[in-house]
Amino acid sequence: MKYIKVAAVTAAIALAATACGGDGKDGDAGDGKDPAQLKVWMMGDGTPEQTKILDGVEAEFKKKHPNTDVQVKYVPWPQVATTFQKAAAGGEGPDVTELGNTDVQSHIEQGSLADITDEFKGWADGKTLNKTALGNDTADGKTYAVPWYGGVRGVWYRTDWFQELGIQPPKTWADLSAAAKKVQDSKKVPGIGIPSDQTNALLSFVWGNGGEVASDDGNGGFKGQLDQPAAVEAVKYYAGLVTTEKVAPEKYVGKNELEGPQRDFALGKLGMYIDGSWALKEMKKVSEKNADKWAVFPIPAKTGGNAPVMAGGSDLAVWKDSKAKGAAFDYITLLNDAKNAKIWADYSGFSSMRSDVKFSDPKLEVFTAIAGNTKFPPISAGWGEFEQAKKVLPNAVKAIMQGKSAEEEMKKANEQANTLLNP
Amino acid sequence: MLDTAPAVRRAPGRRTSGRARPRRRPRFGPYLLIAPTVVVIAVLMFWPMVQIGIMSFQKVGNRQLRGEPAETVGTENFDKIFNDPFFWQTLRHTVLFAVVAVSLTLVVGTLVGLLLNKLGKRMSSFVAGGVMVAWATPPVTAAIIFSWLFGTTGGLVNWCLDLLPDFLVGGGWSDYNWFATPLSTYTVLTVCVVWQACPFVAVSVLAGLKSVPGELYEAARVDGSGPWRTFWSLTYPMLKPIFLVLVVMSIIWDFKVFTQLFIMAGMANRDAFNLSLYGYSEAFGSLNPKLGMGSAIALVLTLILLVVTALYVRVMVRQGETR
Repeated sequence: MKYIKVAAVTAAIALAATACGGDGKDGDAGDGKDPAQLKVWMMGDGTPEQTKILDGVEAEFKKKHPNTDVQVKYVPWPQVATTFQKAAAGGEGPDVTELGNTDVQSHIEQGSLADITDEFKGWADGKTLNKTALGNDTADGKTYAVPWYGGVRGVWYRTDWFQELGIQPPKTWADLSAAAKKVQDSKKVPGIGIPSDQTNALLSFVWGNGGEVASDDGNGGFKGQLDQPAAVEAVKYYAGLVTTEKVAPEKYVGKNELEGPQRDFALGKLGMYIDGSWALKEMKKVSEKNADKWAVFPIPAKTGGNAPVMAGGSDLAVWKDSKAKGAAFDYITLLNDAKNAKIWADYSGFSSMRSDVKFSDPKLEVFTAIAGNTKFPPISAGWGEFEQAKKVLPNAVKAIMQGKSAEEEMKKANEQANTLLNP
Repeated sequence: MLDTAPAVRRAPGRRTSGRARPRRRPRFGPYLLIAPTVVVIAVLMFWPMVQIGIMSFQKVGNRQLRGEPAETVGTENFDKIFNDPFFWQTLRHTVLFAVVAVSLTLVVGTLVGLLLNKLGKRMSSFVAGGVMVAWATPPVTAAIIFSWLFGTTGGLVNWCLDLLPDFLVGGGWSDYNWFATPLSTYTVLTVCVVWQACPFVAVSVLAGLKSVPGELYEAARVDGSGPWRTFWSLTYPMLKPIFLVLVVMSIIWDFKVFTQLFIMAGMANRDAFNLSLYGYSEAFGSLNPKLGMGSAIALVLTLILLVVTALYVRVMVRQGETR
């Protein structure tokens, strides 16, 4: 008798287990038919405002696809790499996803994105998109993603302090050091925050001196330029703000702009620091007290004028495993139409990649001017590793700030660039 | 469970009938009972290790994760890491950290254990409860708390050091960045790891001390032995088996430290990497995962730990012989 009981229980458990795993058919909809669910991945922490905007987009989307629910998942930036790896391995990927623009080429190279060339051709608004940014989304003449928004960095400063001390917004490197020194001497706070882990800011100095990370080697590969005098001089100046000019504190060595400078500036404990338009809202969360005295000037080039800035930002793509490519692309065009792009730009503080969309807030206008001079790092599938896994430039800058020879460190960094950018 | 009673009742009858079956079945039974455990361990622990062994000779990236066949590259992954001075740097960090952290953990833990044994009942449970909190804290929480304590803006440690007179600790502490150089990073890491690990040592030592007969200590006191002498001539030999096990376990734990360092140094400070963090950054650090390289590094770490574990098992077996 007891064997029968055991057998019955075992069978029941087995049945229950298979029943749990047996409903994998819901999401599979054939071509042309609307899926029950459209999975959208957004990067970052996801604020209530962001959710509200995306809810609005979903409502519009439902007009065309009434049977499809949009499910948004937020992926915090530090978890991006592992989350996408899991998506590639497990097939549990999204339909539509936001991508960091410097990661697009890596994704294309790894075959993670769907080819949307035909869909893109049929989208009239495609013509309004920034050409450089669009170039970053193509490979071998095929389009894999659509530029969404971009952000550029400027130097945040205190208007009240600059006025009181009679400082004009710096136009050259010399002006910048002098301004930092003046603020530091009279306000008893560090003049400027120069963290070592801020590749974007560093690149503006390299480009502002006529330098490059790497140039085209003529065979579709890259040749490192980091050991050239222009780049070395720029890194020396950047690190020198900490070591020789002593207008930037050592406490940000090994850190990035979010690990101290942003907070310190918001609290009035730092004269200047480099960050983007989106920092305004983050700093207000720290302290609203001096918010009306914060302003921005462009990162200066060595001898005057605005240095080129790296347009960090995001693109929208259809994940290769998506079974609803058409609906997914519809969602992208809705999210990035003129109306929603404007709402998004005003909310996020990021510039739209559409030529027909501008910020409403006059305070952020300076960023529109800064964005007039953008540049991209080498469009290579290896940039992700160069920047994220190996942190080549941050580690070189850190070593230089700690007294190593700039020539030597940049030579090493250049060797890394030569191997990593040509995967 | 309920069925055991009738089985016992039926047993005598079988014995008289002289059948061998009931005697053979219990011998087979234990293996049957342990089989699920063995299977689970094999699937969950042994198989991943075999996988890592295989992958360390392959090139595995996102394309392979999607299902493309992995390309075998021979010993290329190992050639790469052994020829990379960075690997040796991380290995050096790993070993040096383990040596320092293990010694400190044992010294501090033993002292706390001795203290617990000396204290009265109430105070002893109070202190024991306190150290248990440290042990119970998840590593992530502990690491975040310690990076706050040692933070450059508003960190408690810098604030305290700055308040102390300059002739004692030197000046300029308010802005001191603990996570800028490997040495200072590892100092914070050591404090954090030792803080978390010493309660286990303390409690184990306490348990050992409780088993030492009190007369021995009385005799020692009568003979005029001081605390130092008493410890080395009496306590240490009595607790030696416990100490041996604790040393080996601490070595294994401290070789594998990852969470705390990952949170404190992060990916930006490669000069402070240890082996685990190096392996992680190769395998998962960017969108181009190099799981083959990561596996190769993990395999090296595993082999080192296997040697330590072999030592551990030997110690355990020897203990069994002497008792």
